[in-house]
Amino acid sequence: MNVIQITIFGVLLGGVYALMATGLTMLYGVMRVINLAHAAFMIVGAYIAFVLYRDLGIDPLLSMLVTGPALFVVGVLVYQLLFRPLADNPRFTEMTVLLSFGLALAVEGILGSIFSNIYHSTDPSYATGTIDIGSVFIPTGQLYGFIASLVLLAGLWAFLYYTKPGYAIRATMQDRAAAQIVGVNVDRISALAFGIGVGLAGAAGSLLSYLFTFFPGSHLLWIGLLLSLIVVGGLGSLKGAFVGAVGLSVIAAFATDELGPEWSYLTFYVLLFVILLVRPQGLFGKAETI
Amino acid sequence: MADAAPAEPVGGPAVSRRRFPLSARGGFLLVVVLGLLAVPLLYPVLVPYAYVLQLLTGAFMWVAFSSSWNIIGGYTGYVSLGHNVFVVVGAYFSAALFVYADISPFITAAGAGVVCAALGVVVGLITLRTRGDAFIIATIALMLIAQIGFDNWMWLGGSSGIALPPLHMSEAALVKVPFYYAMLIVAAGAVYLSYRIRHSRFGLGLRAIAQDEVKAEAAGINTRAYKVVAFALSGVFIGVGGALWGYSLFYLRPEIFLALAVAADMVLMAIIGGRGTVAGPVIGALLIVGFNEWSVSEFGSSELNLTITGVLLVAALLFFPGGIIGSLRERGRLPRILDWD
Repeated sequence: MNVIQITIFGVLLGGVYALMATGLTMLYGVMRVINLAHAAFMIVGAYIAFVLYRDLGIDPLLSMLVTGPALFVVGVLVYQLLFRPLADNPRFTEMTVLLSFGLALAVEGILGSIFSNIYHSTDPSYATGTIDIGSVFIPTGQLYGFIASLVLLAGLWAFLYYTKPGYAIRATMQDRAAAQIVGVNVDRISALAFGIGVGLAGAAGSLLSYLFTFFPGSHLLWIGLLLSLIVVGGLGSLKGAFVGAVGLSVIAAFATDELGPEWSYLTFYVLLFVILLVRPQGLFGKAETI
Repeated sequence: MADAAPAEPVGGPAVSRRRFPLSARGGFLLVVVLGLLAVPLLYPVLVPYAYVLQLLTGAFMWVAFSSSWNIIGGYTGYVSLGHNVFVVVGAYFSAALFVYADISPFITAAGAGVVCAALGVVVGLITLRTRGDAFIIATIALMLIAQIGFDNWMWLGGSSGIALPPLHMSEAALVKVPFYYAMLIVAAGAVYLSYRIRHSRFGLGLRAIAQDEVKAEAAGINTRAYKVVAFALSGVFIGVGGALWGYSLFYLRPEIFLALAVAADMVLMAIIGGRGTVAGPVIGALLIVGFNEWSVSEFGSSELNLTITGVLLVAALLFFPGGIIGSLRERGRLPRILDWD
């Protein structure tokens, strides 16, 4: 396949990966939470989109308006019930990892008992369509997913840069203690950030429902991939998540072309280890200071 | 520190304890070990023989796994969510030698432990450059790399698996016996290793790292070397146990060992029992093995089992972060027999 074509595939999927990874890295930035249930919530979003599509005929792109807000509420509840009680724990990040790991297992088990472990996906008409431009073509499903992701990310960007709660979130990401000193209610900001992060995962689930097949256990593959992206970009860096997502996705697209699809995921993990070797803080991460 | 207290009066507690050849705890352990050694001898009376042996063999395996996980995840405070990589590497190492070189896994299992330790050093040198957070992520990535690797490694059967020549005995039920004794040795070895680490300068260093890595480093501990060695040691008995587990199945598929539940159970057992204690992972393993046995026979569904595992993990972290041993000790109710720290 020619280089332009492969790059198109990589960039389009990369935009969707960026949407998926942004919520995850934002939670780390705001409150040092590594939410291993992030991908499980994505799969929940995908199943909601699947049911809406199958029973009511609602288009997956449209169902983002349902999955996003629904998972926002779930995110706020999860924060209030599970993560807030841990806030004073001296080993907070590690506790959140284990807690969200347990949560992911529970979600997988529940999805498994409702939907059984077979592959699902939605099949709107555009999912398999293409737009031909000369010698290359653009798959419409991935194009729409890319556009929807960019719209959501632009909305998030506007929210973070032009609203007061957005300022507060960014301030908390920069320095939690200092934000608290200047009057930011970090508890409420954390709840809001949790809602947004999980809500973005839910919305991404709608896109996932027609771009990929999924089953309850597939959250593990996704969380591995997303974590690789945000480590490469730098934990807690929104810019890093975007650059990491698009960059790795393009590299993986070339790897798929060279080595076949079964090895393409390997590129993400290999790059993760390479980054840990040469620049442990990631491309845009802050180096640890003692 | 014994040498820091030269003024201790003669005949104090340290000396009087030595007057008896065995402490209550030592006697208790001796009885347990002798009892476990005797179980397979009850062949004609014990019914159902194969089931009991299999259940106990599984319990030994999980004792070894969670005690080993505890070395890095408990003492050192570095949570690994990909420790089942050592299981799959151990299982396939011995399986490959059996299929292609005809050497019994009972012999090569020790080699599997060495291979896993070496793997631990290599992976540890890369991933333990980071402090904490990225390490956890790297362990998940490691599990997924192993998944891709073993699923596509056709020489070892790929995702469809590899069959081993089965073991034959005069009576079918007796096939369980060698696995029983071998796994008992693995469990004893893992617990002994954990105990020795807990009571060594090395273990003290690990616990210092868990408490405050920066201060530990300032106190002159080579934290990186300590962490890498701890990670490697935690792989040894998981590799040996994995080799035996793989053989006992006679048919290996990567997804048996690389299931998320395998990684999760080790962590859950150590946390429920009490992270960073010697007895905690043992108690936790016995409890969870018993509980899983009961819930599978009662409800049967593995999906539900996964949910229960997750909920238990969440509940333990929120309400008993110290696990059974930690909570009992906090209340001053920990029996001496279980206090191996």
